[in-house]
Amino acid sequence: MKYKKSIGLNIRWHRRIGLSLFFMIIFLALSGFALNHSLGLKLSNTKLSSDWLLSWYGLEQAASDGFELDSGEWLYQAGDNQLLLNEQKVAQCQPPLLSVVEIEQQLLALCNDALVILTAKGELIESFTQLQGLPADLTGLIAQNNQLYLRGESGVQTFDADSLALAPSNISLLPANSAPTALPASIKEHLKDQEISSSISMETLILDLHSGRFFGNAGVLFIDIVGLLLCILAITGLLAWVNNQRYSKE
Amino acid sequence: MLKPTLKALLLIGTVLLTSLSSPMVSAKGVYQSGPDFIAEAFNQPPNKATLWLTNDIREQAAEILGRSLPELRVRYHKLDNKTAWILEEIGKEMPITIGVVVAEGKIEQVKILAYRESRGGEVRYPAYTRQYLGASLTNKNNLDQSIDGITGATLSVWAVNKVAALALYYHGQVINSRDPS
Repeated sequence: MKYKKSIGLNIRWHRRIGLSLFFMIIFLALSGFALNHSLGLKLSNTKLSSDWLLSWYGLEQAASDGFELDSGEWLYQAGDNQLLLNEQKVAQCQPPLLSVVEIEQQLLALCNDALVILTAKGELIESFTQLQGLPADLTGLIAQNNQLYLRGESGVQTFDADSLALAPSNISLLPANSAPTALPASIKEHLKDQEISSSISMETLILDLHSGRFFGNAGVLFIDIVGLLLCILAITGLLAWVNNQRYSKE
Repeated sequence: MLKPTLKALLLIGTVLLTSLSSPMVSAKGVYQSGPDFIAEAFNQPPNKATLWLTNDIREQAAEILGRSLPELRVRYHKLDNKTAWILEEIGKEMPITIGVVVAEGKIEQVKILAYRESRGGEVRYPAYTRQYLGASLTNKNNLDQSIDGITGATLSVWAVNKVAALALYYHGQVINSRDPS
């Protein structure tokens, strides 16, 4: 009688857990199979191209707009906070790239969090960041009569690129010197190539789904729980079988 | 039989939730602005100055940091023989902004102004940064004091070590060059 009760309880929980884990067991088995044969299935060579998946992984989509310089070169942002001059990475700053000004053999690029000062060739002279005193509410950088002005929500300030000094100004500013326009096809193509070559592989996606990492900490926790339930499934199955053996002997 | 099973599941769930939530206690943040750090470091307003990174300086700085420097100049503040530097170095993935005050060739203060990594933020605690006080540079451009590491924050510790050594090196360059400021 003792064994019969125990068998019933184990079978009941075994059934409940088995049913609730049905789809997860199938998924984990198939994804594990795929990962085991990753080489043969060429999963690591298959790159993700879905915009949704790439943005889920935090990979920025290739830039489409930039600022054309007098020299015909392009200054724009792409990828991981990178500021690029044509195909050359010149600095890092947070998007969006608000303004670009060419003045006295220097290029000045105003990003969301910093004002990047470059030589005409694109060498980084320095970045003036908000932590160093750059106002946080800036909307544009304008050169007027060889003087630089920073326009912000709280007003206009003159800016000296050598001393990084700011001073309030009452000047009426002209519109921005330049506005972002569509990047030429050659640069877009280069960015697309870069994006695909550094993209996430199918192997990584399946591995992240298999481990739950795809959904962050919550996903990992969920897979942990599934793992524990699988252990319980095995234990309840074993106990039911052992007790069934004992019950049969009785 | 059911109750102990549920209790066990609840216990496991609690343990997992605790381990899940612990990394969420992030140290990310801006702790002090650059101007505030400078104002705090000097008794009276210091002079603002620029150190242009010549090829020699860049070479030595690259050796200290273990990477090449992209920028051509560095800002600093100076009053008498005391300089203050706000420098950045990547810990694991994100830059850590570190303020260093050097007086008479020795570190007077190290302060983490902004920390952007999700782990390793313990380097911002005064108990850690206090270790740098009085440190100077050896002939091989290393700190002459040993700095105790922090478990789980090794890369951040290395970043602070490098920046402290770099600030001392820059200070030496500024003082030796008899900068007019």
